[in-house]
Amino acid sequence: MNAVLQPKPNYIVCDGNEAAAWAVSLAQVDMVAVYPITPQSSLVEYLAKFIADGRLGAEIVDVEGEHSVLSVLQGATLAGARTYTASCGPGLAFMFEPYMRTPGMRLPMVMTIVTRDTLTPQSVWGGHQDAMSVREVGWIQIYCENLQEILDTTIMAYRIAEHHDVMLPVNVCHDGNYLSFATGRVELPDAAEVAAFLGQRDVNWHVALDPDRPMAVDPLTGGAGGPGPALFVRYRKGQCQGMQNSLAVIEEVHADWARRFGRHHAPLVEAYRMDDAELALVTLGSMTGAAKDAVDEARARGQKVGLAKVKTYRPFPAKKLAEILAPVKAVAVVDRSVSFGWNCGPLYQDTLAALQASNIPAMSCIGGLAGADITITHFARVIEACAELAEKRSPVDTLWLNEHD
Amino acid sequence: MSAYATIAFKPDRCNGCNECMSACAAVKGSAGQIDSRIQIVAANDSFELAMCRQCGDPKCVAVCPAAALAKNEGSGVISWDGGKCVNCLLCTVGCAYGGIVHNAAAGHVVKCDMCDAAVAGAPACVKACDQGALQFITSARIYNEVGDLEDLFVPGLSGCQGCNTELIMRHALRRVGPETVLATPPGCIPGMGAVGYNGLTGTKVPVFHPLLTNTASMLTGIKRHYKRQGREMTAMALAGDGGTSDVGFQSLSGAAERGEEILFICVDNEGYMNTGMQRSSCTPYGAWTSTTPVGERGQGKSQDAKNMPVLMMMHNCAYVATASTGFMEDLYAKLDHAIAASKHGFAYLHIYSPCTTGWRFPSQDNIEVARKAVETNFVMLWEFTPEAGLTLSRPLDQARPLTEYLKAQGKYRHLSAEQIVHIEASLAKNVAFIEKLAGPRKPATAQQAAVRA
Repeated sequence: MNAVLQPKPNYIVCDGNEAAAWAVSLAQVDMVAVYPITPQSSLVEYLAKFIADGRLGAEIVDVEGEHSVLSVLQGATLAGARTYTASCGPGLAFMFEPYMRTPGMRLPMVMTIVTRDTLTPQSVWGGHQDAMSVREVGWIQIYCENLQEILDTTIMAYRIAEHHDVMLPVNVCHDGNYLSFATGRVELPDAAEVAAFLGQRDVNWHVALDPDRPMAVDPLTGGAGGPGPALFVRYRKGQCQGMQNSLAVIEEVHADWARRFGRHHAPLVEAYRMDDAELALVTLGSMTGAAKDAVDEARARGQKVGLAKVKTYRPFPAKKLAEILAPVKAVAVVDRSVSFGWNCGPLYQDTLAALQASNIPAMSCIGGLAGADITITHFARVIEACAELAEKRSPVDTLWLNEHD
Repeated sequence: MSAYATIAFKPDRCNGCNECMSACAAVKGSAGQIDSRIQIVAANDSFELAMCRQCGDPKCVAVCPAAALAKNEGSGVISWDGGKCVNCLLCTVGCAYGGIVHNAAAGHVVKCDMCDAAVAGAPACVKACDQGALQFITSARIYNEVGDLEDLFVPGLSGCQGCNTELIMRHALRRVGPETVLATPPGCIPGMGAVGYNGLTGTKVPVFHPLLTNTASMLTGIKRHYKRQGREMTAMALAGDGGTSDVGFQSLSGAAERGEEILFICVDNEGYMNTGMQRSSCTPYGAWTSTTPVGERGQGKSQDAKNMPVLMMMHNCAYVATASTGFMEDLYAKLDHAIAASKHGFAYLHIYSPCTTGWRFPSQDNIEVARKAVETNFVMLWEFTPEAGLTLSRPLDQARPLTEYLKAQGKYRHLSAEQIVHIEASLAKNVAFIEKLAGPRKPATAQQAAVRA
């Protein structure tokens, strides 16, 4: 039986990792599997403590590595469990084999990526390179800006994943160091109201390993002829459709969250001071706070700048982003990771694709690698470069923000 | 052809009372126990049986110059015809079991005739044994017993000709029963259709392909969740040696260390046979495989095999055993022990399974190769529990020469004299190691006797 202690008052002061752990408790998961890695470790320690204290009535499996973390939870999900784990960086890389398989099995799992830059050079600090490296695997990826958004989004993630039109795993991404260890006030929703919001878990209606419903899970398909390849193609197409379906579901779930709990987070893309904006920044994750301050300062100086924060990154909300950016003269996209194939940031590539029908010039800025701080000053430089682009309208090189810090 | 009735002897139940010998002597009008046609012989701290085995290929019949001995095709009993016997006693030399001997009082050879059991119900010796050490059974009993259970694999699995993995799969799953979730990581087992193709299933229980790497972890999640819900079921793996000892070892070791309640069966055919006979860490020294080929500079695998069951024993699992399809009764007993142990801890059963295709021997020789592996001590049959430690299931007084086993397979065809010396030395070392773990030979424990009952 799950039991969540109702804290009084409803405010707690915690860091991002603890906020995620509170969300998992409120979602009354059946099983967590854990393996520590910086900067995720305190998150799984909080979970272990919640379980040891009887605050969360879940099974905990302390496994021997991230590969087994996800494998244990796949087994549990196929048996009908609501599950949770978190990882990042090298741990996510080690997990990749079962990670790659999860969306194909249409398992509605929720996993936090406490984003971290990837090796090498050796680094244990924040950055989006880990999550970006798995952006095409088929997991839904949602990025958080602040602590409250972590808690609320992690709970919402279960309803999104388990929606029958979706049935896909969700990564809730929060920035290593910046969000994992930043401390602030978080409002805890009422446990019974969260239970009502999430409803009954129904995670293996479509695929199960259950002696009462014997079936072969994942038999061999494909090949050069016969029914195999067609079966595979229809399956893949359905998987892509599930991703597209999630866009509407994410909006619907956020709207219902706002109705029930009074907190509205923009589900796909948040438009900040975009009315009459001529320049726009595009951001992802915790950098958005500093970016908004920079926008405010620019506005105070009389520059017509706005910001679009991408919250749902996979599937990419191309239509929504294009709509928000449509009126501007130039766009600067800030990434905390790189695309090695294109010498720019991956969010920049996605933005270009979303803007392909327009003739708005855009530029790529890369900052915040390996824990580097993207300050208001850095964003001021971005705005300056964006203004220049709007004027010249000629292609500009990728701007590396922390190169000479 | 129906199965023959036979007298089976269970030495661990015999207390040496010799009532069977008295009963035989009385029925046959012999002078006493000394002339009984069944002889119980004390050997070390156990007992052995000297008696006619009613052999399928009887040497006594073959050596008889007078055709006085003949095997009855209906009953299987070898009969002696006094009218034809010329008292040459060649049969007593031909028999390896002391089953036909000269009786001075009678003036000719005598042997067990099974007391015409069709009339008597059971031979007199069996009726006289109140310990259950002598049993009157049909020789195919174990197969028939398992055959009464539902076959949970579909017909028409597509293994290689002569492969005995299908035997292991069908009989193991029959024994475990339908309340099972079965994991078959990539390899020969799903390769022959256990998980099905294109939406069709190969089994009647829930079955899945885990990754080659995560079998024990996926089963952990399944079992833990059902246990949490209070549902009884068996989480079972049928894995190859590659998925067990190589890339799957980390998750297996983790699950064993945590004592997960899993029944993990490794079907060891000493390599990646499904993908074309590549080397695994279970491949023995000197063996040809497609990645340890034989040529000017290569002479098969240049390292000894990883001793997987010993590694699992060192995890202090609830149960670990080795078994062979050459000794099915032993295999069934261990399967039962493993199933029971998987209800409270990690149970690991390592079954040696010769591969007709990859080991290069004729498809009809599979069981014979399996038997030779055990009789040469190349494969040692044992079981382990934390309580009883390691027990040898079939200790050999005298192992057969290793070359009999090596010569039975094409994969060893190229071996040099030095390589054979290496294999013999490694084998001797392993035998000494396992025997040391087993300690001095002891009668079966009460617990083992109870399990056998």
